[in-house]
Amino acid sequence: MKPIKIAMLSLTHGHSRKYFQTLNDNRHFEWVAVSAESDKIKQDFLSRGYDIPCYLDEKEMLDNHPDIEAVVMASANSEHISQFRLCAGRGIHILSMKVPTFNMVEYEEMMRLAAENNIVCQIELELHYNPVVARLKKLISEGAVGDISTFNATNITLTPVWAFPWQGVPEKSFGERVSLSSDATRYRGGCLCDHPHVFDMIRWFTKSDFDYVYAEAGPNIRPELQVEDTMLVTGKMKNGTSFLFDPSWSRLEERLEVPGPGWEVHPKRMEVNVSICGDNGVVLADCFGPNVYHNGAPNDRYTVQYTYFDEWIGLMEEFADCVRTGRQPAINLKWHQKTIEVMNACYESIATQSPVYLP
Amino acid sequence: MEQSRSKATEVALQELLDKYNVKVDQPLSLSTFSQPGDSLQLLPGWHLLASLPKTNQQPLLTWRVNRAFTELRKIIADSVVENACLFRFSCLASPDQWSVDALIYREIDLCEFISGGKTMSVFAVREKQSINIILRLDTGVLCSIEISTQLPAGSPFQERHELIGQRGTASDRVVDTQVSQYSIYGYTRNGIEQYKDTDMELFGFDENQIEHVRSAFELLKTPVLIRQWADQHLHLVNLVNAVHTSASERRKVIIA
Repeated sequence: MKPIKIAMLSLTHGHSRKYFQTLNDNRHFEWVAVSAESDKIKQDFLSRGYDIPCYLDEKEMLDNHPDIEAVVMASANSEHISQFRLCAGRGIHILSMKVPTFNMVEYEEMMRLAAENNIVCQIELELHYNPVVARLKKLISEGAVGDISTFNATNITLTPVWAFPWQGVPEKSFGERVSLSSDATRYRGGCLCDHPHVFDMIRWFTKSDFDYVYAEAGPNIRPELQVEDTMLVTGKMKNGTSFLFDPSWSRLEERLEVPGPGWEVHPKRMEVNVSICGDNGVVLADCFGPNVYHNGAPNDRYTVQYTYFDEWIGLMEEFADCVRTGRQPAINLKWHQKTIEVMNACYESIATQSPVYLP
Repeated sequence: MEQSRSKATEVALQELLDKYNVKVDQPLSLSTFSQPGDSLQLLPGWHLLASLPKTNQQPLLTWRVNRAFTELRKIIADSVVENACLFRFSCLASPDQWSVDALIYREIDLCEFISGGKTMSVFAVREKQSINIILRLDTGVLCSIEISTQLPAGSPFQERHELIGQRGTASDRVVDTQVSQYSIYGYTRNGIEQYKDTDMELFGFDENQIEHVRSAFELLKTPVLIRQWADQHLHLVNLVNAVHTSASERRKVIIA
């Protein structure tokens, strides 16, 4: 397959460094250029030694490299619609981060632009390419627990806001400043916006959609944040499966501006654990375990060193195949729309202190 | 079988009372079977959910003497974990040993016992023999409780109690593990064997029996607990009912 000429936009997303490695190593891609949101981000990129031109203007980058076929939209959620319009108008395929936008009018526009310009838009939901999840799906589909009663899951991490500040700014993360509730000191845009995976997984596993959702935000572990950092969500799917999700930023961190060794205060910085109960029993899964453990440098703190398989192998293979063959990816805008809708419904539930029903 | 188990625990309780010179002037029973009126029947509180305890029945909050939970409580009380924000509790059991209501009763009491707070509101979602609860304490702590009795009969109890604060976390589950740990693992010609022995004076009893005996002993040794635990039992009965109301009516229930 001819390598896809690909660029990256903004470089402000938490997974940007993962894409540096992926685009550099993956033979399906020819890494052409990047555009950085600021000079500081540009200098950080240049310091990493990739022989890739770095622009401060994405339009200039696209004008100078008209052969770019696809982009990784590695930017704040608030930037996605303008970047989508720019790329779709040029027929450039898009690998979007996990939240294209929380504004459902913008979301509809993205779907229309993708269809009208015949571009591939794949959403980065890497758990679809995780071997533990693959095993779990196989077990459940083969009837290991029988009819599912509950699908409970965590998608809990440290907060990335010290390294990627936009994730703590309501206008950039959620897209606008909306009070969380009558508690006017906090706004939508925190941990929930960072953690869509479990909402996606339950839809995938149950082949059903959300009936209703009820959510509450807990006190902030980091009181200075203006967005929520703890939350619990429960509810039911239309097929009767009940669920309880924890999408919190409940793993404390050192406030590093550049993530690296010593980032963790809580030993395990990221967790997606699933507990599925059914008529025939229970299955428990740790999507990112087991691992290795140390308490050496830099701060002698007991720390989990992950050993999980690189999910970006499968994710990027699918994107490349879709670009070359013209098929739509499994995780596309249309599929993902109901996940974003239910996340919005969580915020509505917090505000109203009532369950919110989905159509 | 249940009667012989009860008899063994009653003997063990009496031995403790004698050893530590705790005088009790009436016959004691740890059995769930009906007892003569002059006998004091000491039962885990979930056995007394269906109706008000009789005058000779005393509900026990048996887990409150479990060292794991007293240590978690102390971690909060001593501000080792500061400014608790979130509790994450989970309890998976088999239906031959536990009921959903018993686990609701236990886990909500553990929320209150460990935090030192009282439940202000509950929202619950139930499907068959599993129920999820979001609970808010008057201290502001938000709690999740996941309960199921859908483990196959005879399965070991699986639980997790995690506390998350503005400073620190604490848990009875090791980081990066999914199931409860044992002290001894045997891979022998006898097959796989696992043991967790936590009490030398009650060696040979299982964890539930140990909690039953120890909590009965504690109550008899510390009579102020009689009224405290009786009042808490009534409070918990109210909360179990509130959970079911929430689940059936799909609404948040504020606790008066």
